[in-house]
Parts: sequence; C-alpha cells; structure tokens
Amino acid sequence: MNKKQSVFKNIINTGIPFVIMISLGIVIILSFLLSATPFKTLRYFFFGSFQNLYYFGNMLNSAIPLVFGGLGISIAMTSDNFNLGGEGQVYSGAFTTTIVAVALAPLGIFGGIIALLAGTLLAGIIGGLSGYFKMKWSTSELITSFLLSNAIVLIVNYLITGPFLDPETNLLATRKVPEVMRLQKILPPSSLSTGAIYAVIAVFLVYMFMYKTRTGYELRVCGANPRFAVYGGLDVKKNMVLPMFISGAFYGLGGGLAIYGTFFSCMKEFHVGLGWNGLAVALIARFKPKAVIPAAIFFAWIGSGAKIAMQRCDVTLEIASIVQAVVFFLITCEVFQRNYFKKKEELACK
Amino acid sequence: MQIIYSAISISVPLLLAATGGLFCELSGSLNIALEGLLLIGAFTSVVAAHFVGNVFLGVLIGMSCAMLLSYIQAIITFKMKANMFIAGLAANLLASGLCTVLSFKFFNNKGVVVFNDVQKLKVLNFPIPGQTIFTYIALLLLVVSYFVLYKTPFGIHLRCCGKNETALVSLGLKPDFYRVTAYIISGATCALGGALLTLNLGSFVPNISNGKGWMALVIIFLGNKNPWGLLAASLVFGLADSFSNFAQGALNVPADFILAIPYIFTLIAMLVFSIIVKKKKEFK
Repeated sequence: MNKKQSVFKNIINTGIPFVIMISLGIVIILSFLLSATPFKTLRYFFFGSFQNLYYFGNMLNSAIPLVFGGLGISIAMTSDNFNLGGEGQVYSGAFTTTIVAVALAPLGIFGGIIALLAGTLLAGIIGGLSGYFKMKWSTSELITSFLLSNAIVLIVNYLITGPFLDPETNLLATRKVPEVMRLQKILPPSSLSTGAIYAVIAVFLVYMFMYKTRTGYELRVCGANPRFAVYGGLDVKKNMVLPMFISGAFYGLGGGLAIYGTFFSCMKEFHVGLGWNGLAVALIARFKPKAVIPAAIFFAWIGSGAKIAMQRCDVTLEIASIVQAVVFFLITCEVFQRNYFKKKEELACK
Repeated sequence: MQIIYSAISISVPLLLAATGGLFCELSGSLNIALEGLLLIGAFTSVVAAHFVGNVFLGVLIGMSCAMLLSYIQAIITFKMKANMFIAGLAANLLASGLCTVLSFKFFNNKGVVVFNDVQKLKVLNFPIPGQTIFTYIALLLLVVSYFVLYKTPFGIHLRCCGKNETALVSLGLKPDFYRVTAYIISGATCALGGALLTLNLGSFVPNISNGKGWMALVIIFLGNKNPWGLLAASLVFGLADSFSNFAQGALNVPADFILAIPYIFTLIAMLVFSIIVKKKKEFK
C-alpha cells in the first residue's frame, strides 16, 4: 500500500467523514423543515462562501480565532484537561488587549505587542486558575472553568457598557485601537488579515512543542496514562496548571488578534460562539495540531454559510449551532471509528 | 420573612433539576446537560401550552421533549460509546440552538416571547405563602426519589451501578439500562423545573435557565449526593439568590454584576466543598 492510500484510510478510520456527512445531512433536513425556499437556502448555505472574494476572505478570516482556540484546547485535551471556559477567555483577552492598546497608543507597534501579551496573559491566568484549583483541591476543572467564564463574560459586559464605553459612537463598544496596531489586509475587499500568517506559524510552533520538546512529551504522557506518568516520576501537578494556562492564553491571543485584524474595538458580546467553536475544532481535529487548520476552516465555512443564508433567506444563524451540536454528539462515538470493531474482535479472540 | 419565601420559590427549579441529576450521579455518570434540559423543558412547555391551550398538557409535552433529548444523549453516550462530557455539552448546545431556531420559526422573534393566552400559575398561600403547585411537586418528587433510590430493588441496582459496575454485571443485569433510565428521569424533572420558570413569567426569555443547571450540579455535590442534602443545599442557593436580588434594590449595583453573582457564588461553593473533602481525606 502506498502512503497516499494509507493517509486516506486513516482519515476514514477516524470516522470523521461520517460525522461530517451526518451533520451536513441535518442541515439539509433542517432547511426543508424551516425554510419556505429550501433549495435557495441550501445553495447559499453550502456555496455562499465561495460566490465572491469578499465572502471567501471573510470566511477564512473567521477561521483565525478558531485556529488559536482549537490549538489551545488540543493541548489541554491531550493532557486530559477540559477547558470549558473558552467564551470568557476569548472575551476577556480581547477586551484587555483593546483597552491596553488604547492606553498605550503613544508607543505605537511596541505598545500593541504589549497589549496583546497582556490580553494573552490574563486569559491564560483565568484558564490556569481552574487548573490550579484542580491541582490544589481536585476540584473538577470542567465545572470551575465554565462558571468562571460565565461570570467573567458578565463582568466584561459591564466594563464595556460602563467605564470603557466609547462615547463617540452609538455602538456598545470600547474605543478603537490605534491605526498602527491594526493588521494589514491581504485579500481586499474582505477583512482577511495577516493574522492568518500568525495562525499558520502558531500551528507549527504548537506542533514542535507537543512532539519535539520534553514538556510536550510529558503533557502527552500525563494525558494518555496518568498512572504511568506518576510512576515515571513526572510532575503530574504541574501538568494540570500548564495546559490549562496555555489553552486560556491561546484563546486570549485569538481574541486579541481578532480585534487587531477584524473588529478594531471590543464590541459587547462579539465573542459569542468563538469559545465553543474552538472546542469543536479541537475535537474534529482529534487534538492533532496539523489537522486544526482544515477543521477551523470547516467550522468557519458552516458559520459563514449560515450567516449568508440568514441574510438572503428566512433562516437564522443558529442553524450553525445545531450543526455544531450534532458534531459534538457524534465526534467522540467509538462506534464510528473503524478501530472500534477491530478492538472488539481482538477482545473476542482473547 | 419575605426573603425566605422568595428563596424557597427560587430554589424549586434548582431542586427539581438536582433531583434528576442525583439519579444520574448515583448511577455513576455525571449529567452536565441539566442546563440544556431545563432550557428545552422551559421552551417546549410554554410553547406547547400556547398551542394546545392547556397548561397541564403543555407541561406533559415539555416533559416528553426533554426526556427525548436526554434519551438521545444517553443512547449516544452509552450505546454508541461517546465521551460523556462532550455529549453533555452537545445536548446543551442543541437545546440553546433549537430554542432560538424554533422561536424564530414560530414567532419570528429571537428575543423575549410573551404568551398572554397561557394561564399564569396560581399562587397558593397555604401552607407556605407565595408558592406555586410546583413547590409541592418538587418536595413530593424528592420524597418519592428517596424511596425509589433507597427502598426499591431498582434504586439499589441503580446505586450499585455507580459504586461497583462489575457486581451488577455478575448479577446478570445491564448497567446501561439503569444509566439510560436515570438520564430519562433527569430529563423529566429538569423539564418540570424549566416549565416553572417560563409558566411563572408567562413568557420565554432567551437563556432563561441562566446557569441553573450548573448550579444544580454543584448542589448535588454540596448535598453530599443525598436527597435531604439536596434540599438543604438548594435552599442555601435560593437564599443567596434572593439576597442578591435584595441587594440590587437596596445598593444599586449594576445589573451585570447581579447576574454574575450566582456564578461566583456557585464557584465559591464548589471550591469550599472540594477543600472540605480534601481536608477530610487528609484527616483520615
């Protein structure tokens, strides 16, 4: 068997094509149920993103924060940590980046970098806090990260509409970041920015970190077999905080870059869906950094398709979240994975 | 006194959701979809009551919808061997997505939907002032679930399923059956809790469950996985909530902070609980 064939087989064996087919099947059923003009809706949903450069670029642009979120979650999940706080982490990271950038406007690009780091650090600390609770008192990081994130979203909402509201616009948003800090557009008229390049670099760096460094190896061991990690003398406790910190930091970085590249000011609740989509991307990429980019583009395509269908037809954006839910339901099912049957056979033989 | 009465009515949906969640927890599987089940129950019961014209039937339809959702979730988790937490998240996402999509389809509105034709719940002032019938249903359900869990073979098998699955298998019983049943029960009780939320208001507000499902999860831990513990823990949460409502009026705190208080309180409760458990373990 040549290599190309085996790659193809591997993809089939993960069961992901089935999951994608089923979720797209759900879209078709939904548009027949919900829409008065199902064929038009489906055409916009599936092909709307490719009909011109503007939609296409915007779709790719919306994949950028998903790549960052997906990378962070991949690191957390390979070390067996659930981070459900993505929503709050993206939002607080983006908010901190914006207000620090506005405050450091005289420093130019240098100030922009500091602002981005500040946002990343804050979001990382928020994520790391849940890891710390888990390490210290074995509190479920799943529940604490979610609760913390929900509280933070509300507090940031207050800060945006209260003390940091831009008085010059009618939008519920902060002041805009200075021109020098904004990322360049690479595919006008769409808003695709140089953030895409950073996303690709980030994928490469995370791949190197996970598979070529000692810490990455330790994280993978802790996730695959915690008991072995303990006997192997690894610092299991450190490996609860660090991955949670990294995943929060990536969410924050993604949020910050979305501000520099797309939004320029932190609008109230602009983050909705970015956190869950990051998790969905990581799941469909099976926590492999290399697969994060195609997975992010898949979800960006679903999201932008739903948006275009909403603008042109009589369905709402939330169809995308139903597709997402179906993916969440099916993606971890062992039944779809070819190895599942093999494993069963092996067990039966024994 | 007023604060205590309102605390009781606030804690009823929490208690209902936690009672269902307790079945799941004792059967050895944490159901993190309580939030979504509350939401779908809230939406479907009020919508069904609107279309059918009968509150009782509406609640029944709402219960069946939530039971269906939790059944799907259970089948995917246990029969198709999915990750329990991811499938639970999926149920939450599906519930919030479906509510918005359906509300847009039926009422052309993604925001607050007011149902003037749905009869408001009667307030019974006896024996506890300011309560609806749901308070007594919740208490009754709690007593019933105590008996079911501790005094019937079904309940004993269900708890055995959580403590020692192999023992159950060696009795020739199927652990999956008990887990799936526990999920369906949690769907039914969550729908009741959700129905109370919407029927009390006579309208559906997006995200009306507002973290109550997650609070119910923490209540299960705080209540030491025991029906009477649940009652005490949910009353504590109800008290905290009614105090924060009181504070909003008295201290003029921004609304977003008031909304954040339940989450922060739940987080602190969770932390305190795990610290106590940890200290107890060290003591032993």
